Order: sequence, then C-alpha cells, then structure tokens
Amino acid sequence: MSAGPGGTAWAGTRPWLWALGFGIALAAIAWGERVGLLGGWRSLPFMAAAMLLLWPMARSAENRARACGQGSPAMMRYNRRSMIWSMAYVVALGVAITARNRLAPEGPLLWLLAVLPSVPIVYFVWAMARYLVEEKDEYLRHRAVNAALIGLGLVLVLGTFWGFLETFGLAIHVPGWWVVPIWAIGLGLGQGWMTLRERRGGGE
Amino acid sequence: MRNRLKVLRAERDWTQGDLAERLGISRQSVNAIETGKYDPSLPLAFRIADLFAMRIEEIFLRD
Repeated sequence: MSAGPGGTAWAGTRPWLWALGFGIALAAIAWGERVGLLGGWRSLPFMAAAMLLLWPMARSAENRARACGQGSPAMMRYNRRSMIWSMAYVVALGVAITARNRLAPEGPLLWLLAVLPSVPIVYFVWAMARYLVEEKDEYLRHRAVNAALIGLGLVLVLGTFWGFLETFGLAIHVPGWWVVPIWAIGLGLGQGWMTLRERRGGGE
Repeated sequence: MRNRLKVLRAERDWTQGDLAERLGISRQSVNAIETGKYDPSLPLAFRIADLFAMRIEEIFLRD
C-alpha cells in the first residue's frame, strides 16, 4: 500500500498523536457518562467514532516503520487486519444501533443485534494471535507479547478496582465492552514504554 | 548479558541496518541486542555467530 499522494501519507509518522486523540476521545466519553450526557447504548456511536482513530493510528505506525526501515511483513499484515476489524466494528455497531432504534426489535433479532458488534472483536483476537504466530522477528514478537501483557494487566487492575467501587456503590456501572479500549490503551502504553527504553539504551 | 556486536559491526563498517538485513531481522532488534535490552534466542545467536564466523561465546559474554 502506498504512502505517497492518495496513499497513507496523510496519517503521518507519529502514531502517538492518533493514540493521544483516541485517549482524549475515551476520556470525553467517560466524562459524558459521568455527567449523565451519555451512558449505555447512547455511548456506542461516540465509541464507534473514537474507534475510527485506530485506522490512521495503524497507518501512521506502518508509515513510521517503513520510514525507519523497521517493521516486518507480519506487522504490515497485522496492521491491515486491524483496519479491517476496526472498520467492521464501526459498521456492525452502526447497524446494531440503527436497527435497535428504528425497529424496536425483540427476541432473537434483539439478541442478534446485541451480539453483532462483538463479532469483529473475535476477528481482532484472531488477528493478534496470527501476528504472534506469523512474526519471524523474535524481538518484535517479544515486544508484542510484553505490550499485550501490559494491556491485560491494565484491564485486570482497572476492572477489579472499578468493580469494587461499583459493588460498594461508589461508582457508576461501566459496560463490559470497555475492556477492549482499555486493553488497547495498555497496549499503546506498553509499546511506548519499550520504545522509550530502547531510545535510552542508545542506537544509531 | 554483554556482547561485542557493536564492535564487530564497526570493524566491518556495517550499519545496524546492514547487520539487520544480513540476519533477516529488524534494525530495532539489532539495536535492542547491541544495547543489552534483549538477549537473543539460541537459534538467532547461532545465526549471528555464523555471520561473523565466530563462536557464540566470543560474541556474547557473561555479566
């Protein structure tokens, strides 16, 4: 895929900027839920819009890797798959929300619509697993595993922390689908931390 | 674990990118190994040793 005009150059070579935008969008949604503007299914379109930022983030990471002579064929495939699942997630969410609002479904159709946005996430988990299998560069694989574990750690810590706050009636209920964005933030933080560590170690 | 990768590379006037290309890994990986942030697996250590025509213990040293 081209990084030239009409390609992906517009995404730049600074994925952290898109990640920052994603983080800010999530914080804004959380704030909207806190003050009662959003909540439950009303948050979903905003979450879908925030997920769109993952597309340029993946493109930007790919551009950066290409410019620095880094990355690998497996990583490029993973980035492309990431775009597929994030776009599919947005579409599935849009279809589910629209159908729920206009058709007022019940029974099996409601179940189907409720499950629909989760399907791309299954593909996302598969894409992550495939990356770990296909990545031939052991250090890049080591980085990906570490970053995924940092993301998992963040989900476990925040989930437990927030869960007890909820149990004791001190915090509002947070839907379970927040786990993926929280994990993605942890993944990004993990990658950022390792890059910082590499830079401190020196290099050319 | 310490290693002599940077010195060996410099002796041959190779950049990290040159070494990465010869080993079929990313420049990022070469940098991480050189700076001691990452210890390579035994198969990769053998590939590195083969490339420099040396034994592994002549390149990678105990702390």
